[in-house]
Amino acid sequence: MVAVPAHRRGLAALATRETHRVLKLWLQTIAAPVLASFLFIVVFGLSLGERIDSVDAIPYDAYIVPGLIAMAMVQAAYSNNASSVFQARFEHYINDVLAAPMRAWEVNLGLTIGGVVRALAIGAALMVASLLVTPVGIAQPLVLLAAVALLCVLFGSLGVVVGIYAESFDHHMAVNSIAILPLAFLGGVFYSVESLPSPWEELSHLNPIFYLVQAMRFGFLGSADVPVALSLGVTAALAVLVVAWSARLFATGRRLKA
Amino acid sequence: MPPALDIRGLSKVYGDARGLGRRPSSTEGFSALEGLDLHVEAGAFFGLLGPNGAGKTTLISAVCNLIRITAGEVRVFGEPHDSLAARRLIGLSEQDVNLDRFLDVRETLLYHGGYYGMDRDRARRRAREMMEVFDLSGKAGVRAPKLSGGMRRRLLLARALMHEPRLVILDEPTAAVDFELRLELWRYIRRLHGEGTTILLTTHYLEEAEELCDEIALIRSGRLVARDSAEGLRSAYGATTLSEAYVRAMGGQEDVSFLA
Ligand SMILES: Nc1ncnc2c1ncn2[C@@H]1O[C@H](COP(=O)(O)OP(=O)(O)O)[C@@H](O)[C@H]1O
Ligand SMILES: [Mg+2]
Repeated sequence: MVAVPAHRRGLAALATRETHRVLKLWLQTIAAPVLASFLFIVVFGLSLGERIDSVDAIPYDAYIVPGLIAMAMVQAAYSNNASSVFQARFEHYINDVLAAPMRAWEVNLGLTIGGVVRALAIGAALMVASLLVTPVGIAQPLVLLAAVALLCVLFGSLGVVVGIYAESFDHHMAVNSIAILPLAFLGGVFYSVESLPSPWEELSHLNPIFYLVQAMRFGFLGSADVPVALSLGVTAALAVLVVAWSARLFATGRRLKA
Repeated sequence: MPPALDIRGLSKVYGDARGLGRRPSSTEGFSALEGLDLHVEAGAFFGLLGPNGAGKTTLISAVCNLIRITAGEVRVFGEPHDSLAARRLIGLSEQDVNLDRFLDVRETLLYHGGYYGMDRDRARRRAREMMEVFDLSGKAGVRAPKLSGGMRRRLLLARALMHEPRLVILDEPTAAVDFELRLELWRYIRRLHGEGTTILLTTHYLEEAEELCDEIALIRSGRLVARDSAEGLRSAYGATTLSEAYVRAMGGQEDVSFLA
């Protein structure tokens, strides 16, 4: 095992704690979402796919894979961190970390890692399953890597931010079901937005998750509704914004500390 | 040697709109501490007494970086309280039990050791020692929510002591614990003090403060009312018992129902 330098032991311990929580509850944190998304891929792709024409010359069962994987990973990164941070605040055991000799950014990063691990585990499992049962491939590995990294940062941090603002268990669920889930659904997971009538096609371009889905699709399939520079650029800009927001919360202690 | 705790002009207004360009809200914040000065010598056994709402927990939270202070300066063994060096020197057992629900007894101690920068071997050794001292060895693999109230309280204390802090802050450690555990906790804390650890204790039991503390500060409505030894407080207020001195110091009108 790699020895952790003494001044990073706090960060390592917190990251381990968050990962530990994910793995301890693996049935609900990893297995359940993998199964749910896999069923989507099988049911929509393999059964319906026979009857749906290919989209952009891509078989339908391959077409929906990138978006479904993105959706599952977004949900995991976001909701894991929102729940974990909210619960630590709600039961005040976050104080054990806030009092500890750790820098603000270390606490922030440590709390973000659980969702990242969970999203990566789910993404890896779904990718392997999809490669086996659908004709999807990995056309642009570097783009896929960049898209996955940005997804983890953006939604891992968003989860932490919402966990800090939430005042009840229902709050972060509400953000998920009112904002993230609908935006993901409308982000071109199941269809090409180019096929939508005006103004729906144009409106889709205002949806931030649309760009993430497009970047993932480009990574897997090598084609998408918008240029890859644009989709990665928009997602990166959003990630920078959310990370700056959470960094600010930890640096000032606002909302974390009375 | 610098004092264990040097607090100057400490103020805390809850719900103020400091920072981030927020406009001051129309509802005034609540002032829980007002320009408080407090000096605790290294090696002291110091008691902080005051009625509910006096600001004891607020004071402790300020020292431990759990709240944002409004004004003032806090030094811990000469280091600014928000520095990493100061944080490492403090062990805190909070008034309300706040144990991580996902961790068992051993993990609670090991992760805490990690947060405080202990290396793995030292943390393991210390965790074993703490579990023995606090009679938790048989529960090493039990998660916090499954422990009895007394065990949780002992684990909270074990966690506070895990990283061998030089200043141990105990916020009402003996509230709502049975008589036996209370005596047991007294024994632990005394021994700790005997080993040279500085103790800051808040309590609602005056006889506890009298029994344990060499110095006592009385606070009320966020201000320091008096500080002396139990003996000194008695004579300063012309009282025969600490309770009497306390009631006089508090103006005789505070809620003293807990004295019964
Ligand atoms: N997070 C908070 N927000 C607003 N007011 C608070 C908060 N915490 C404590 N207070 C108020 O500050 C005062 C002091 O509380 P506290 O420090 O807990 O007193 P003690 O520990 O002496 O009982 C009380 O009036 C309490 O209601
Ligand atoms: Mg209190």
